[in-house]
Amino acid sequence: MALIAIGLLLARGRGPGTGGHVTLQGGGSSFLYPQIQAWIDQYSRENPNVTINYSPTGSGTGQSQFLQGVLDFAGSDPPLKRGVWEKYRGDVLQVPVIVGAVVVVYNVPGVGPGLNLSGEVLAKIYKGEIEYWDDPAITSLNPHTSLPHEKIMAVHRSDSSGTTNVFTLFLHKAAPDTWPEDLVGKTIDWPVDSTGRGVGGKGNQGVAEQVRQTPYSIGYVELAYATQTGLPVARIENSAGRFIEPSNETIMAAAEGAISGMSIGPRDDWNPVFEAIVYAPGEDSYPIATLSFLILRASYNDQAKAEALAGFLEWLAHEGYKHVVKGYVPLPESARHVLTDAANILRGAQP
Amino acid sequence: MTGPVPPEDKRFYYSLLPFIGVSMIVVLVLAAVLAYYSLPAVKKYGATAILGREWSPSEDNPSKARYGLLIPILGTLATATIAVLIGLPIALSMVVLTEEILPYRYRGLLGSIVDVMAAIPTIVYGLWGLTVLAPLLRETLYKWLHARLGWTPLFACNPFTGTTYMTAGILLGIIVVPYIYAIVREAYRSVPKKYRHGIYALGATRLEAVRLIMGMIRSAIAAAVLLAFGRAAGETVAVALVIGSAFNAPRCLLAPGYTIASLIANQFGESFYYPYMANALYLGGLLLLLIGIAANIAGLRLLGRARSLEG
Amino acid sequence: MKGRLALDKAFTLAVIIVALAGIIPLLHLLATVAVRGGEAILRAGPGFFTELPAPPGSRRLGGAAPALAGSLVLAVMSTAIGVPLAFGAALFLYEFRGTRLARAARAFLMSLLEIPTVLVGILVYVLLVVPLHGQSLLAGSLALAIVMLPYVATYVESALRQVPQTYREAGLALGLTRAQVALRIVAGIARRGILAGLIIGLSKAIGETAPLLFTVGGARSSVNINPLRPGDAAPLLIFHYAQTPYDNWRMLAWGASLVLVAAVLLIYVVAKAFVREVRM
Repeated sequence: MALIAIGLLLARGRGPGTGGHVTLQGGGSSFLYPQIQAWIDQYSRENPNVTINYSPTGSGTGQSQFLQGVLDFAGSDPPLKRGVWEKYRGDVLQVPVIVGAVVVVYNVPGVGPGLNLSGEVLAKIYKGEIEYWDDPAITSLNPHTSLPHEKIMAVHRSDSSGTTNVFTLFLHKAAPDTWPEDLVGKTIDWPVDSTGRGVGGKGNQGVAEQVRQTPYSIGYVELAYATQTGLPVARIENSAGRFIEPSNETIMAAAEGAISGMSIGPRDDWNPVFEAIVYAPGEDSYPIATLSFLILRASYNDQAKAEALAGFLEWLAHEGYKHVVKGYVPLPESARHVLTDAANILRGAQP
Repeated sequence: MTGPVPPEDKRFYYSLLPFIGVSMIVVLVLAAVLAYYSLPAVKKYGATAILGREWSPSEDNPSKARYGLLIPILGTLATATIAVLIGLPIALSMVVLTEEILPYRYRGLLGSIVDVMAAIPTIVYGLWGLTVLAPLLRETLYKWLHARLGWTPLFACNPFTGTTYMTAGILLGIIVVPYIYAIVREAYRSVPKKYRHGIYALGATRLEAVRLIMGMIRSAIAAAVLLAFGRAAGETVAVALVIGSAFNAPRCLLAPGYTIASLIANQFGESFYYPYMANALYLGGLLLLLIGIAANIAGLRLLGRARSLEG
Repeated sequence: MKGRLALDKAFTLAVIIVALAGIIPLLHLLATVAVRGGEAILRAGPGFFTELPAPPGSRRLGGAAPALAGSLVLAVMSTAIGVPLAFGAALFLYEFRGTRLARAARAFLMSLLEIPTVLVGILVYVLLVVPLHGQSLLAGSLALAIVMLPYVATYVESALRQVPQTYREAGLALGLTRAQVALRIVAGIARRGILAGLIIGLSKAIGETAPLLFTVGGARSSVNINPLRPGDAAPLLIFHYAQTPYDNWRMLAWGASLVLVAAVLLIYVVAKAFVREVRM
C-alpha cells in the first residue's frame, strides 16, 4: 500500500515535461531493437534530458500498441499496410531509419561459404520439390563444389516476422511461377513442412541455432545473426543474373536502387518502396535487402514529446550513420531527407 | 466438514469470503474476456476452429485463411502428460532420497537446490533446452528410439531435429520437478515421526516404509500432480523454444510440434496483421481454461475420495 | 527375509538412479548459470548493479540496473498483492472444504494454472494497459500475482492439511473459535509449508517471463521504479537479449539469471533460519 502511495507521489513529479525531462516509450520490431538501442545510448549522452525506451515485442505488436495509444512511436519492419495507412492518413508519419538484409545460411559438412543459390532453387527447396543437396539444379550453379547426396532440412521461422515476409517476397519476385503470391507473408503454411523436412525456429536466434545444430540444413536469417554465429552464407542471384554476396556495399546498392527513383515523404504510403527494395534492380544489388521504419504521430498532445522526437529524428539524419551496429547498413544519403522532413512536420514548420 | 456453518463462526467465514471472492472473480473476468475475443473466430469458423488441423494465415485474403486448433490442443495434452510421467517419478525419488537415504547433513542442501530451481527464469530453461538438451537428445535417445521402436507410430518419424514434442515434454518434466518435490516433501515430513519410527521398528524395509508413507500422503501427491500438469500446460517460453514449431500431429513424438501456449507465444506478436488469428489464439486459451476446469473438477472428485479414506 | 532385503536394495538403487536423472540436468543448468553468469558479473564489476546496459556489440558490458530495480519492485508488489490473497483463499479452502462454494472455488483457482502464462499477460494488457494508455510495473505485478495465485494457495493449503486433525480438535475442544484454531494453531504448526508457499510466490514473481512481455514495457534506457510507468525486469532483459547475437548483451543476460537465482537462494536461506522447524 505504502509503495503505491509513494509511486503516486512520484508519478506527479515525473510527468513529461516536468523539469525539462521527456520520456518517450516506443516498441516493435525486434530486428530494429539493437540498432535503435545503440542510437538511444549515444543520443542520451548528448541529450541527457531525453529518455527513450524501446521494447522489442515484434513489428505487429508495435504497430498495434502504437495505434492503441499505448506507445509514443513504433518500430516496424514492414510499413503500415495500405488499408491501415489509409485509415490513419494524416495522423501518422513513417520514416525509414536503417537498411538490413536477409541472408541464407546453411550447414553442409565439407562445403564452405559462398555457395551459389538462386531464388528459383530456394523456392523449390522450401516447397519440398528439391530434396537432396546434390540435385542438378544446385550443382549446375556450383560446378566447382562437391555436394553430398543428403536430404535438405529447411528451417524457417515459427513466429510471425518481417524477415519471413521479405524472404517470401523475394522468392515470389525471383520465381513467380514456383512461389505464388499467396505464399508471401509474415507467417505462412510452409509447403516443405508436409514432407517432414521442414522445421520452425523461434526468432532469428532459433533459426540460426537450428541450422547450426542440424547437419545438411538451410535457413534464412538477418545479416547480423549470420556474422555472429559464423555460419556460411550463400551468394544469391540478383535480378541482373549475378551471384551477390551480402555486404555493406551490395546492400546499400539495393536501397539506393529502390528509394532514389521515388519522390516520397513521411506522410506517404511506403509499401511500394518496401517492395521495390527486394530483388532490386542494379548490377551490384543484393537481392534480399530490407528496410525498417519508425512510425509516429503527426502531432502530439504533449508538445515536449514532439520536440524530443523531432530532435531525435534530426540527429538520426545527420549523425545516425556514424553509429551503425555491425550487421546493419546505414540509410543511403539520398533518403535521409525524409527524417528531417518528419522532424519539421512535428515542429509544425511543415504541413 | 459438511453441512451448514455454525453461527459463531460465521464472522470467520465472511471475513475470508473476500479472498476467495476476488480469486474467483479474477478467473471469471479472464474467462469472460477470453470468451469475448474468441467469439468472432467461432462464428467464422465454427467447429473447425477447434477441430480443424489446418493453420494457414492469410493477410490480404481472409477468406482463404484457416485456423484450426486441434493440433496445438493435442500437443498441449501430450507434452503435459509426458511432463508428469517424467517429473513424478523423479520428484518422488528425490523425496525418498532426501528423507530416507541421504545422511542428515545433506538433506537441507538438496532441498534448497531443488527449491531454487523454481526461481530459474523459464527463458533460461528454454535456452538451456535449445542449446544443450535438444541436440543431446537427438544424438542419443531419439536415434535409438527411432531405430529400435520405430514400428510404433509414436517413434515412427525420422528425428531430423532435436526440437520435438518429446523434448518439450522432457524439459517440462524437469521444470515441474521442483513443484512436485516441494509439496510431496513437505507432506512426507509432516507425517509424525512416531509413525515413521514405528514402521521401521516393526521391521519394515525401506521400500515397505516408503510405500506406506506415500500412501498416507496420497492427497498431497495428487495435488502435486494436478499442479504439475497445469504448470506444464501453461508453460510458454521454455516450450516455445524447444518444440520445433511445426504443425505436425503429436502422433509421432519425435516430430516438431506446437502447444497452445507456444502457438500464442509465436504468433500473437504479429497477429495484428491477420484478421481472426488473434481470435483463434484467444479461443485456444479459452479451451485450455475449460479443459483445466474440467480436469480439476474430475481430479478433485477423486481426491475427495482419497482424502476421506485417509481420515 | 532375503527376498525382501534384495528387493529393498534394488529399490534403493532404482530410487538413486531416477533421482539422479532429475538432479543431473538441474545441476548442469545451475552450473551453466553460475559459470556464465559469474563470468559476466566479474567482467562488469560492481557496475553490473548500478549501470545501464552498454550498446550492442560494445566491448563494455555496462550493467542491468533497470532490470534488477524493476524486478525488485515487481517482486515486492506482486507478492504484496498475490500472497495475502492466496493465503486467505487457502485458509477458506481448508476451513470450509466441504461446501459447494469451496469446491467450485478450488476448481476455478486450479484452472488458472492451465492458462498459458503469456495469455495472462495479454489479458492484463487488454484490461489495464490499453485503457490507461501505458504499460507499467503495476500491470506487470498484477499479471504476476494472478499467475502465482494457484501455486501459493496450493502450497499453503497443502501445508495446512498436513497438520494432524488431533491438534485442531484439541483446540476446538478447548473452546477456541475456528478462526483462532486455524490461525494460531494450525498455521503455526504449518509455518514451514506456508513459508515454502511464500518462497514459491516470490520465485514466480522473479522468474516468470511471459506475463511481462506485453505489460511492463521493457524500458531499460533509464532506471525506473515508479510503479505507474513502464519499467524493466530481469527475465524480460534475458528474453530480449538472449535472442540477439551480441556477446556483451548475452553476457548481461546470463549475469541477470545468476543474480535472480542467487537472490531467491539468499531469501530462502535467511527465511529458513528464522522459521524453525516444528518437531512433532
